Amino acid sequence: MSDYDFDRVNVLLAEDSPFIRSLLVNSLKVLGVGQVIAVEHGGDAINFLKRVKEEPMKVGIQQIDIIVSNWDMSPVDGMMFLRWVRRHKDSPDRFVPFVMITSYTEPERVTMAREMGVTEILAKPFTIKNIADKLVSIIERPRQFVHTKDYFGPDRRRQKLEPKGPERRVLTDKSEGVEIIRG
Amino acid sequence: MAKKSNAPVIVRFYRFKNRLRDKTAGLSAGGASISVEALEAASQALEKMSEDYPDWVSGLIAKLQEQHGRCVDTPENRKDFFEEINHIAHDMKGQGGTFGYPLITAFSDSLYDFTTTKSGITDNMIEVVKAHIDAMKAVIRGRVSGDGGEVGATLTRTLNEAIAKYDT
Repeated sequence: MSDYDFDRVNVLLAEDSPFIRSLLVNSLKVLGVGQVIAVEHGGDAINFLKRVKEEPMKVGIQQIDIIVSNWDMSPVDGMMFLRWVRRHKDSPDRFVPFVMITSYTEPERVTMAREMGVTEILAKPFTIKNIADKLVSIIERPRQFVHTKDYFGPDRRRQKLEPKGPERRVLTDKSEGVEIIRG
Repeated sequence: MAKKSNAPVIVRFYRFKNRLRDKTAGLSAGGASISVEALEAASQALEKMSEDYPDWVSGLIAKLQEQHGRCVDTPENRKDFFEEINHIAHDMKGQGGTFGYPLITAFSDSLYDFTTTKSGITDNMIEVVKAHIDAMKAVIRGRVSGDGGEVGATLTRTLNEAIAKYDT
């Protein structure tokens, strides 16, 4: 089995605590991530992504591969940032993997992030292994994106489970009203 | 992505090629993993940074003390100060465990809960805040890492007694 080479990977990190920020930058770098762009909150992160879209040559980055963001920041928190990434017309990549860091792990908060289209949630306090596991999950188990009238984001079903009882899901890949976009 | 309400599409599935895997694992078919050396190096870096953790926490404890002082001096603005205390406690509770100070996480977690959506903030409640700050200060001053053994148990008990006494 070979080792991942993260050298060509660009990570955008939004974290307001200077201590945690430098900790995460350091950890990602030591794991071999080529570029980590660290900003203080969601607003700065959005501005950076706009620049990547408008002037990639000047910024020196063609694309952000993974976003890691704290949830609780001001003035623009992680949820507002995630909403922008997934839904705004100026977002350079609405499909980018988005890891939300939070010490709020109550089920309703996790659901809230999931409904907004989060890819992974990294709970504080985290270890290096937790960070590494999220990276592996993003790389090895990417999910299709789903766009319905009230959701846009990675498929919220992570597992293929057979329904208990009769099949009640009415849509299949072949149904009318289902469009599959490959790329 | 705006769609007309009468558009026939109910759901769109986007199935993309796994570019990130191509980028990180090359084109080899077999599984890849994060190198053991890199994981080890990163864990060591984290450990090294954890040496700075007590200083960082001391800074936040000083901020808590400042807000506590304001609660005492200007009771009419307590709600705002409580919010600030709640915010600082939230920052603190995240990482204590990672750096070997689970007691800081436990105490800030308790302070966070205690200061969440409170109205009618009494003098007794301010005392409970102070008890939390004192417990945290004792942890950092004494570098009480891990569960702190007997010292840790005493600090936790003292704090719980203070909460029981004042939180009425």
